[in-house]
Amino acid sequence: MKKLRVAILGSGNIGTDLLIKIQRSEFLECVLFIGRNLSSPGMAKAIAMGVKVSDESINAIVKNPDAVDLIFDATSAKDAKIHWEVLDKLGKIVVDMTPAKLGVFCIPAVNLDEVLEHRNVNMITCGGQASIPIAYVIGKTQKNVEYIEVVSSIASRSAGPATRLNLDEYIDTTENGIKHFSKVPRTKAILNLNPADPCIDMQTTIFAQVENPDMDSLLYEVDIMVKKIQEYVPGYSLLVPPIFENGRIVIMVKAQGLGDYLPKYAGNLDIINCAAIAVAEQYSKNFNNIK
Amino acid sequence: MKLAKNKVVFEDCKKSCTEIECFSILDNQSILVTGGTGFMGKWIAEMVSYINETGNYNIKLYLLGRDISKFKEEVPHLAEKPFVSLIKQDVRYLHNLPSDVNYIIHAAGTPDNREHVSNPLKTIETFYKGTQSVLDAATRLTDLRKVVHLSSHQVYGKNETEQFINENAFGAFEALNVASCYAEAKRIAETLCSHYKNSMRLPIVILRPFAFIGPYQDLEKPWAINSFIRDAMLGGPIRVLGNGLTQRSYLYASDMAYCILLSLIKGENGGIYNFGSKVGISLNDLAIKIQNQSVSKIEILSRSSKDFDNVSKLVPNTDKITRQLNFKETITLDKAIERTILWNQLNND
Amino acid sequence: MIKQILISDPTLRDGNHACAHQLSLEQIAIYAAAADKAGVPIVEVGHGNGLGASSLQVGLCKETDKDMLETARKHLSKSKLGIHVIPGFATIKRDLIRAIDIGVDVIRIASHCTEADITQRHLGYVRERGKEAYGVLMMSHMASATVLVEEAQKMELYGAEGIIIMDSAGAYLPSDVQEKVTALVNGLKVPVGFHAHNNLGMAVANSITAIESGAKILDGTARGFGAGAGNTQLEVLVAVLEKMGYVTGIDLYKMLDASDIAEDKIMKNVPIIKSESIISGLSGVFSGFAKHVTRISSEYKVDPRDVYRELGKRKIVGGQEDMIIEVVMDLIRNRK
Repeated sequence: MKKLRVAILGSGNIGTDLLIKIQRSEFLECVLFIGRNLSSPGMAKAIAMGVKVSDESINAIVKNPDAVDLIFDATSAKDAKIHWEVLDKLGKIVVDMTPAKLGVFCIPAVNLDEVLEHRNVNMITCGGQASIPIAYVIGKTQKNVEYIEVVSSIASRSAGPATRLNLDEYIDTTENGIKHFSKVPRTKAILNLNPADPCIDMQTTIFAQVENPDMDSLLYEVDIMVKKIQEYVPGYSLLVPPIFENGRIVIMVKAQGLGDYLPKYAGNLDIINCAAIAVAEQYSKNFNNIK
Repeated sequence: MKLAKNKVVFEDCKKSCTEIECFSILDNQSILVTGGTGFMGKWIAEMVSYINETGNYNIKLYLLGRDISKFKEEVPHLAEKPFVSLIKQDVRYLHNLPSDVNYIIHAAGTPDNREHVSNPLKTIETFYKGTQSVLDAATRLTDLRKVVHLSSHQVYGKNETEQFINENAFGAFEALNVASCYAEAKRIAETLCSHYKNSMRLPIVILRPFAFIGPYQDLEKPWAINSFIRDAMLGGPIRVLGNGLTQRSYLYASDMAYCILLSLIKGENGGIYNFGSKVGISLNDLAIKIQNQSVSKIEILSRSSKDFDNVSKLVPNTDKITRQLNFKETITLDKAIERTILWNQLNND
Repeated sequence: MIKQILISDPTLRDGNHACAHQLSLEQIAIYAAAADKAGVPIVEVGHGNGLGASSLQVGLCKETDKDMLETARKHLSKSKLGIHVIPGFATIKRDLIRAIDIGVDVIRIASHCTEADITQRHLGYVRERGKEAYGVLMMSHMASATVLVEEAQKMELYGAEGIIIMDSAGAYLPSDVQEKVTALVNGLKVPVGFHAHNNLGMAVANSITAIESGAKILDGTARGFGAGAGNTQLEVLVAVLEKMGYVTGIDLYKMLDASDIAEDKIMKNVPIIKSESIISGLSGVFSGFAKHVTRISSEYKVDPRDVYRELGKRKIVGGQEDMIIEVVMDLIRNRK
């Protein structure tokens, strides 16, 4: 088997955590870690790990396009658009961690096979990775779902300046993601930042309004789905199994991080990275004809 | 409308540029501006454009900034000028500068204090790492004549006396103030300048800007005069937040650009200059001035937490730029407000 | 010198918490007209958690934001129309643009007391539209005076023309109010405001302490109609302020009339301090949780007082109503 050669564009928290996760992967090899500044903490970490680094941003790939098969873009929505113009022409696969929404939405537990037909895959949002698989199960098992709502609470310290400035985009993208996968036309996403010390784990509640809920099949399917997610997000768990309360379905899940580069409470960053790796690994398996 | 708006700017440059002959020194020279796509960069480009056309000079301009495409969109008439080259670069990560650069104007970094408090680390990095990167690259240029470093009046700390601030002033700092990261980063940037001047013999001039107003300055910026003009253009009311007796001064943009270019040729090596208007005005009076220039009747509201014991006064003593650079303000505050409103109206249409 | 106090009346917003967000358009029309007649400067309208907050999480609203605001707009002529906006619930594109288009005058952008930087964009947008923008720090008992000042200073820089701290849990004693409001008045250039809840019976006393410490803005509702044990009772507040020589611009008699109308037309029950509310206040739990805690506790047969204690211990913030279910499930599990 040949490991898929990947590059990480963006040396911030997300990029660096991805790098550490990739080191464990049987299917991926990080051949290039790219940022803009060799002295950033992420770069220092990569250099210490013996990974090849570059501070030339997208030019690092343009200079030697044949060295890389797949690029994780962990920069910003604005930069991701510029990068994709270049990477598309080079015929590269891009797993987009930003909210740029250029490619096909992906929740590995739901549509992993579908993404292989595309070259740009968008990982939606952290809250989306936690809630959409459950919303999908609700859409699949229940008839006449009127409305789905997801509420995520994350530790204040896991939300950096970009997240805080872009809450509206987070909400918008997550709502679109839920609509897309659950086929429920009315959706709502809510995000709470909780400053409690010690930091809380990321917790997400999924609510649904359903006329006559089929709780048995929901319980059964949610269980299967959670196990499926746990295959690529080890810290994912079902906190409150489906209950029907006050005319609404309520399901609560929790995502604890692996504590790779970021602390365990940053489950929101961990889950989107785990999902991105699952996508990249799928490409690798596909190239190697592994089922 | 585009033409009318550009004409406003051209006329302003003409008025401010009182001594065009002195720029013959810059003929066939290259100036690099960091923060070149911002408010100052645009105005420097406008002024150089005026000087090149009117004086028949060939001054080359490199404008370095993070968002080149936005610049092209906003000011295509500048982006298309043959003497302008655009460089997309984050100043924090800069290694090298074009080898033919003779003059550097280091104006990178936003003075928007909303960004300072929301992202203090980026603020500190931009002024600390950014200044170091630029000065370091400057030491490797073969024919560098001068670096003009745009600092900030905030390096002076508080001034609650009646005094105009002179270049030796040193006021108290508010440690509790969340926005202090900007002032502190600007101070360390000045210290970097003195290091590069001392040990690398870089020819550095420091300008300490006060407040400016004029076209290309975003009215959404959180400063009093911008908010007042914006409120007035929306039909009011104008809201005076905090102590209305607070004194500030405003230099019009074309005068600003002209003064920066003067400092390139006349600024004394190692010199520090206050850079702004010497005409102080209280926020209350400023609001009235803007009210008087509005067609419709606009209300002024005052919103303050308390009766203030002290009055903040940030108005520079400008003797040094007057004497050494031979700089004179040509556009009064009334005119500045009128031109700013006119330009923004044309821009909105 | 005239001692002017700006009053904002959230009867039709915080009051929605007290009736599970079931205020009807007719009720909104009736009270808005009465408050307008009394000269209440700002009438706040909407879901209890503000714009865009109607949800399964915190409660579905009987009426849409659009209908509520349009109705209120029609019945307010002197009074300004205000809204409460929490980023994370409301977005600019989905909610705020339309609200301003309908004619809202005063927009209060709120965050949990330690998270002011999520309000930057929303405050900026309100100023861009030339509307009155205030910053609100909710659950302010959970942060020290120093932290509150820092967060409030951010909001001030983002363009807020006044900062209101909320005692969302009704947890403050007058000495707390004095400490925090004094620090804010010293640290800010713009006016400071205070929004009380009455869990410990302190709402009016705390409000008065706030203005004696330098606050210039106070919130109060007719009969105290609001979340949990209710808010500061506005007609009492107006009377007390009048007696103390403060000016509010509100006509006391007409305010008394408006409160009578409110009691008659919009409240099933006048708020009282229930036993649970006392524990809620002592535990520092968001007042908007009250209805949910009562319902879920009785459904699963647990003592609501234990639920409040546990919620307080976990430092749950407003908007995290889903945690009530989790806490109840845990209590049941531990009982077994």
